[in-house]
Amino acid sequence: MIFDTVIIGGGSSGLTCGIRLQEAGKKCVIISSGQSALHFSSGSFDLLNALPDGTKVTNPIDALKELKAQNPKHPYTKIGEEKFAHLAQEAQRLLADAKIQTVGSYHANHYRLTPFAITKPTWLTMADYVYAEQPDTFSWKNISIINFTAYLDFHPNFFADKFRRMGMSVREIEIDLATIANNKNNLSEMRSTNIARLFDNGKTFANFANILKSKIEKSDAVLLPACLGLEHADIVDTLSNILGVTVKLLPTFPPSVSGIRSQYLLKQRFMELGGTYMLGDTVNKVEFEGNQVTKIYTVNHNDIPLRGEQYVLCSGSFFSQGLVALPNDIIDPICGLDIDYISDRKQWFADDTFDKQNYESFGIKTNEHFLAIKDQKTIDNLHVCGASLGGFNALKDGCGGGASLLTALYAAEEILGNKK
Amino acid sequence: MKIEKLMNEYDVIIIGGGATGAGTLRDCSLRGLKAALIERSDIATGATGRNHGLLHSGARYAVTDQESAQECISENQILRHIARHCVDETDGFFISLPDDDLAFQNKFVASCQMAGIRADVLDPKEALSLEPSMNPSAIGAVRVPDGSIDPFRLTASNIQDAKAHGATVLTYHLVTELLHRQGTITGVRATDMRTGEQTELHAPIVVNACGIWGAHLAQMAGVKISMFPAKGALLIYGHRVNKIVLNRCRKPSDADILVPGDTICLIGTTSTKVPYDEIDNMYVLPEEVEILRKGAQELSPILEKTRILRCYAGVRPLVASDDDPSGRSVSRGIVLFDHEKRDGLKGFITITGGKLMTYRLMAEKATDLVCEKLDVNKKCETAHIKLPGSREEKETTLKKLYSMPISIQESMVYRHGDMAEKMSKNNTINNSLVCECEEVSYGEVSYAIDHMDVHNLIDLRRRTRVGMGTCQGEFCACRAIGILAKQKQICPTREKEELIAFLNERWKGVKPIAWGDSLRESQYASWVYESVCGLGDENKK
Repeated sequence: MIFDTVIIGGGSSGLTCGIRLQEAGKKCVIISSGQSALHFSSGSFDLLNALPDGTKVTNPIDALKELKAQNPKHPYTKIGEEKFAHLAQEAQRLLADAKIQTVGSYHANHYRLTPFAITKPTWLTMADYVYAEQPDTFSWKNISIINFTAYLDFHPNFFADKFRRMGMSVREIEIDLATIANNKNNLSEMRSTNIARLFDNGKTFANFANILKSKIEKSDAVLLPACLGLEHADIVDTLSNILGVTVKLLPTFPPSVSGIRSQYLLKQRFMELGGTYMLGDTVNKVEFEGNQVTKIYTVNHNDIPLRGEQYVLCSGSFFSQGLVALPNDIIDPICGLDIDYISDRKQWFADDTFDKQNYESFGIKTNEHFLAIKDQKTIDNLHVCGASLGGFNALKDGCGGGASLLTALYAAEEILGNKK
Repeated sequence: MKIEKLMNEYDVIIIGGGATGAGTLRDCSLRGLKAALIERSDIATGATGRNHGLLHSGARYAVTDQESAQECISENQILRHIARHCVDETDGFFISLPDDDLAFQNKFVASCQMAGIRADVLDPKEALSLEPSMNPSAIGAVRVPDGSIDPFRLTASNIQDAKAHGATVLTYHLVTELLHRQGTITGVRATDMRTGEQTELHAPIVVNACGIWGAHLAQMAGVKISMFPAKGALLIYGHRVNKIVLNRCRKPSDADILVPGDTICLIGTTSTKVPYDEIDNMYVLPEEVEILRKGAQELSPILEKTRILRCYAGVRPLVASDDDPSGRSVSRGIVLFDHEKRDGLKGFITITGGKLMTYRLMAEKATDLVCEKLDVNKKCETAHIKLPGSREEKETTLKKLYSMPISIQESMVYRHGDMAEKMSKNNTINNSLVCECEEVSYGEVSYAIDHMDVHNLIDLRRRTRVGMGTCQGEFCACRAIGILAKQKQICPTREKEELIAFLNERWKGVKPIAWGDSLRESQYASWVYESVCGLGDENKK
């Protein structure tokens, strides 16, 4: 099978790259083994929250110079200031075209709430989530926080406590879905996705809205755990119209309904643009000739190779198995590319799990254009994007989402530029 | 003032909440004594919770130490009877590999028989068909009545029964002083580790059941016990690959016992002398991990490809023999010191040495001495009175839970025996799952928090296995903290501190083996807790 570009990995990075290329008329295939880090997302994408020395960032674009000074290996340093703003705007546009509505801007971080009601800076937040331009500034006075009986992945008390400290009057309302659900499945498994599926049933949703209406009294805002809208985000607007007040979502522990929806919408967008998405397939062999990838083989397609002029590796980090740690080695199990890491395992970790862990910044080595390096030689038609890249600590810098989207777009534009 | 004093008067105070302390508390309570137990941390946090959980048949000691072997087989039979819900009757194999001397097998079988331990020589092929995970190149196999025993459940059940007989249990209380009057110990002063509040407890006898920490307590009392802390490291694999305990048929050595327990199996141990001042800080070293992996893979080659969940190390309380002035000769058996006879200090006794297997016998010996000193003439009954959880047939308990989801029924009865009935209010909330890995329900967690001396997530893990499964607490910890907060009225700030403490406790055990899937899991946990949830330095204590 011959494509223009073969993309390995179907998470946010692979899909973003694929969508951008399809938009420009390229024929792409994405090979996805199934799970994506998006399934555990916070409801926001971070661009840059802190510098390596810990300095907090409020304006990501202004911080790039200092970032470059502190970490010349950071992907943003490679992207460069000039392209950074353009790619960040492109990312937001691309998400919106995929019907993922977000708020936020690359030159001013806004603030999200975490499932523990901790305030954190971020770049883009799902438009139906609670967020604030400045830390902890909300205009509400009376709010209702909803939870569902036996749903243990959302702790309303954290939010209630926070909002009460800010002087709001908070009503905590618990609703037993067993009494209103039309399609009772196994309610001993009260997880966000199962609840979202209950609400996909129109009658259950209507029952829920009615009960809610009778309980919220004079609230200015009704805040629900983010377990609505597995397929459509507009369920929150619909509820808001029925209740006649603002309805916003508060994040839950994983799995993330909005993350799963985003993944689904990106995949839909990619396929609507004509892309081929091979779900549940795994690359098992990559062939090189000189400085080029020539073919890749997958488990499902056996001896039929996938070929492209260009290849993009978006296989993620350890979690997604784009990187594999052996007792004394780190490898890229897919392409066998060179890895930027420390060989002594004792230096991979810090004693405190919340301290900076060196392994978090291990990743695939690339040149300044994100072209892969194998046996110390640059591979001319293989870009590497997202969490597979080394040289930065996405957790400490608060830049995982941005690095994923921006490097993917960078690779796409490089590929398009090269073909002019 | 007078009332408070009366309330703090006991017949006996036991210091140390391991199996021995808990067993002694139960024995004393069953014999009608008013007893109190003080533990600086949670129950079963020392050597009790940091060993194999092997229900020794005694076979391991048969060749080198007949006395220990006999004690083991006798206690083995008693525990199968009184603590059935803590015991898995798996049997054990002693296998000889091509490098091992098959002549040892004959000596081994003869020694077992001498100690009264059933030891059946099997054809290696037959052994392999019974235990397919064992090394297929084995040249010999002997079957013995080994098993596995859950030390957390065992300790908790002893505590439960003691409390039912009027005992007082103070966990998270550190003894800061032993009260003296004219050469006699009369009680203790302790600090509540959570509130800083001080308490005094009085009793004519204080029992030192602190294991390796007993040397320090003895020093506080003004007497000297020489102890040699011996560190033993173990690895937990994420699957129960063997259903029969696998031992090497050779002289006892490192990493030669593989024990199946719950959903996992574990290999141990190593043995290293460590300085006494390091006993509170046991880290597993890379060298130890290598020794253990090698030993495990020799017993069961599939373990080369099995995920290691975590590792941990315990400290054996080896006591220097009193009759050896050089202090080099160490007693591995049970050590009971009557400090009145030994040191002229009245009101203080020490029970130490021994092993998890002999906790009940140690408790019996200690309680006999307590009774002798108090002039109480009551016989020990712990060898036949069953512990709570083991008093009913499994099937009988299961019938009472028939309306609950089957997976929850089974795992609850497996863990708690007949106590499961008390945890089974059948409704939506109680049946909802807190931990998918180990099938722990809300009802079980809720009961443990209210009735089993649980103060934090780490305690909860010891009672219910929340956080012990393959996810190592990623999903269940945040659910469990919510329930804990609700029932114990914990404020959101402390909830976050508790979670961080729990996650760091997990990391300590994962870090030495963090590669492959364990590193994947750790990275994922970091994303969830640090990135998604935003926990960090500012939420630490």
